[in-house]
Amino acid sequence: MSMFSDIFFGGLFQGSLYAMMAVGLALVWTTIGVFNFSHGVFMMLGAYFAWQLVAFGLPVVIAFPLAVIVMAGAGWILQASVVRPLIGRPNIVLVVVITTLAAGSLMENGALTVWGPRSKQLPSLIEGNTTIAGVGVSLHQIAIIVITPLILAALWSFLNRTRLGLALRAVAQNEDASQLVGLNVTALYGLAFAIAASLAGLAGIFMGGYRFMNPSMGADPLLKALIVVVFGGISSISGPIFAAYLIGFFEAASNYYFGLYWTPALLFLVLIATLMVRPEGIFASRSRGLA
Amino acid sequence: MTLLDTAIPSAPGRVTWNREAIGFVAGFLLLALLPLVFGDSYSRHVLIMIFIYAIVASNWDLSLGYGGVFNFGHLALFGIGVYAYSLLAKQAGIDPWIALVASGVIATVAAVLVTIPILRLKGIYIILVTFGFAQLVMQVIISQSDLTGGTQGLVRVPGLYLFDHNMIRDGKIGYFYIALTLLVLSTLFLRLFVRSRAGASIVALRDNEEYAISRGVSLVRQRMVTLAASAFFTGIAGAFYAAYQRNASIDVFGMSLATIILSMVLLGGTSTIYGAIIASFVLTVFSEAMADFGAWRLMISALLIIVIMLVYPSGLVGMIRAAWTMVAERIKVR
Amino acid sequence: MSESPILSVEAVTAGYGRVTVLHEITLEAGRFGNVGLFGPNGHGKTTLLRTISGLVAPKRGRVVFDGKDITGLSARAIVATGLIHVPQGNKLFPDLTIGDCMGLGAYSPRARPHEAENREKVVKLFPKLAERWRQRVRTLSGGERQMVSIGTALMSHPRLLILDEPTLGLAPKIKDELCTAVMDISKGGVPLVVVEQDIEFLLELSRQLFLVDHGAVKTEIRPGESIEHSEIMAMYFGH
Repeated sequence: MSMFSDIFFGGLFQGSLYAMMAVGLALVWTTIGVFNFSHGVFMMLGAYFAWQLVAFGLPVVIAFPLAVIVMAGAGWILQASVVRPLIGRPNIVLVVVITTLAAGSLMENGALTVWGPRSKQLPSLIEGNTTIAGVGVSLHQIAIIVITPLILAALWSFLNRTRLGLALRAVAQNEDASQLVGLNVTALYGLAFAIAASLAGLAGIFMGGYRFMNPSMGADPLLKALIVVVFGGISSISGPIFAAYLIGFFEAASNYYFGLYWTPALLFLVLIATLMVRPEGIFASRSRGLA
Repeated sequence: MTLLDTAIPSAPGRVTWNREAIGFVAGFLLLALLPLVFGDSYSRHVLIMIFIYAIVASNWDLSLGYGGVFNFGHLALFGIGVYAYSLLAKQAGIDPWIALVASGVIATVAAVLVTIPILRLKGIYIILVTFGFAQLVMQVIISQSDLTGGTQGLVRVPGLYLFDHNMIRDGKIGYFYIALTLLVLSTLFLRLFVRSRAGASIVALRDNEEYAISRGVSLVRQRMVTLAASAFFTGIAGAFYAAYQRNASIDVFGMSLATIILSMVLLGGTSTIYGAIIASFVLTVFSEAMADFGAWRLMISALLIIVIMLVYPSGLVGMIRAAWTMVAERIKVR
Repeated sequence: MSESPILSVEAVTAGYGRVTVLHEITLEAGRFGNVGLFGPNGHGKTTLLRTISGLVAPKRGRVVFDGKDITGLSARAIVATGLIHVPQGNKLFPDLTIGDCMGLGAYSPRARPHEAENREKVVKLFPKLAERWRQRVRTLSGGERQMVSIGTALMSHPRLLILDEPTLGLAPKIKDELCTAVMDISKGGVPLVVVEQDIEFLLELSRQLFLVDHGAVKTEIRPGESIEHSEIMAMYFGH
């Protein structure tokens, strides 16, 4: 019983973090058609902003949401500075990889200069531990497991139930036609980046609450988010969400049976095998679009 | 058939073989004379690193620029070279020179293996899978810590030797000329390759896949050939790097090295080979000149990369061409 | 008929990158009613429309809509003036439903207050769309997609509607249906600028015709200048 609940909680928890990260990557890909390789750095920045605000003496309930909002601004600025000027270039996918990598390096080293290399920790969302079905879990983890689906559901209804969300989905499908109904395409691009960055920032805050933070903490989550997105298919946002939880459970199970060392290698093998069978990912639809 | 037999006919605007050969020889002779100017071992060390980076970057230009295959596992091929050499020379006790060549072969085999999952993929998916491949290699190396030293890496990797020459107390002159020779061989190979028929068909595939396929170019074979060709000297460069540094570390799989090398390829301007080599010089010298700035060095480099990418989409070569046109027009006006 | 033209294009030069498609093209539209543009393919009709609607920025010249200089404005700003362009082809938004598209049409603040009224108009004009309101565009036929395109444009509350080959590639029956609908829109008081290959339809619809050739207006035919179908065919092929 304990084995099952270990895998179950571990999977839900990891899956939640992966989903938060992957959704942002997928959102940017579907709307703009570029991959943001500084997405992991956004995660780190969110955690550090939150830490700084807490250090200023703000209570957690104000500091955390404020950090998320600041991240939205950071996402907008990144888009305006290193992505928007490149739109229309023939090799935009490749060039944006390098500009976002460079921007990521800039921010990471900036964080290193400002906050130093020493590890820091954020307060948990909720302090304390509990035992469910024979497994000890922290309330912080429970909170993440509960909050993440709520946020993802909110994002889903924003995209599917509001006119602004509709506009974002439209831009993802046809830029010319979007302009001809009067959509502000550049603002929508900025919005996609802002949403992605704030989700990444939130994931960073979640992570900073149970693990030590350092300026390069975003590298591994970025990698995992990339895998999730490849696995789930980059043409939608529901695909990556399912894939995130699937991979969370896979990792938890593999950690249990094969140990920490072999899990990443196993994961990559499964990824490559999947892509050989279904190159567009397992949950892919036929075209680019947000659904 | 040799590569020369199948060379494609020259086209208008294309530099002729003779002129390129003269430039090639003159350029590398100049490099060979550099140790006369730079007597200290620090300058020579920087030059050796430049040569290594130049090999890795220019071979990446083959798959990325000419082939249009977004192979983000290129640095893994370098890393495979590093570890193949270290394991063969240190753990298996094989002669360093044999281990060096074997590393190139192993990297080539690895490249062929990566090609299999990406054969049916396009664009961004290739980036993601090759990126995944790099991580897979790194994870396997970390997990096999008995052999590879895991995250600690390997130290006291055997170095190269040249007859009875003392490689350690020679002011790095031995390693300098080995590195330069490798760069010459690699560049010669790359230029011959891209100017051959095989090179032309790779570019055709990149520019118009459907048309090229309809004219009988095999996508599967060409992708495999491109990646394999770009892997051999990359693997050798990795092996040389391990021999020169006398250690192997998983840092070679990290994002920072990949970012630097990729910026060399893109700053140089893709599909030139020479551009990547020139950019390796510029970026490495620039980065060394700012060695005292600490974290600021990386930030300034990053900023510089962004600015150049935004302003000069075709990289340094585009910048040089633009400058040249300007000068030429001035001369004309007068 | 109004005295001043609703749309005038004054010596506009435009193109893509280094390629110039339009060479100082000049025309005035709307003084006499609907305007038809025709001419061989690849001679700049679509580029002209894209320049008018702000998708392509003109290199030189002026575009004036209803007395307002709209040269170089963004497509969004031009939509806000009520000049609405229905692009060629039926790519649209493949994964949006018809209802979504109508919602998008009413996106601009100018169109928002008229949303309900315009939706009624669209449904009356194209009853088929109402039946498939929740269906994705990719699942529709070519004719139905064209209806969605035009419907979306009507939702934008147009003061001038620009149609780029509305009947291209459609089967005769559905083509008739669309032609009737376009005539109805015109009768409803929205002036039209139409690019069309079907000369019969163009002659029936418009009172003023322009032959666009090599990126410029080659011939203008005003009302009263009687014109035979055969003469137009001669203009097409006689150069």
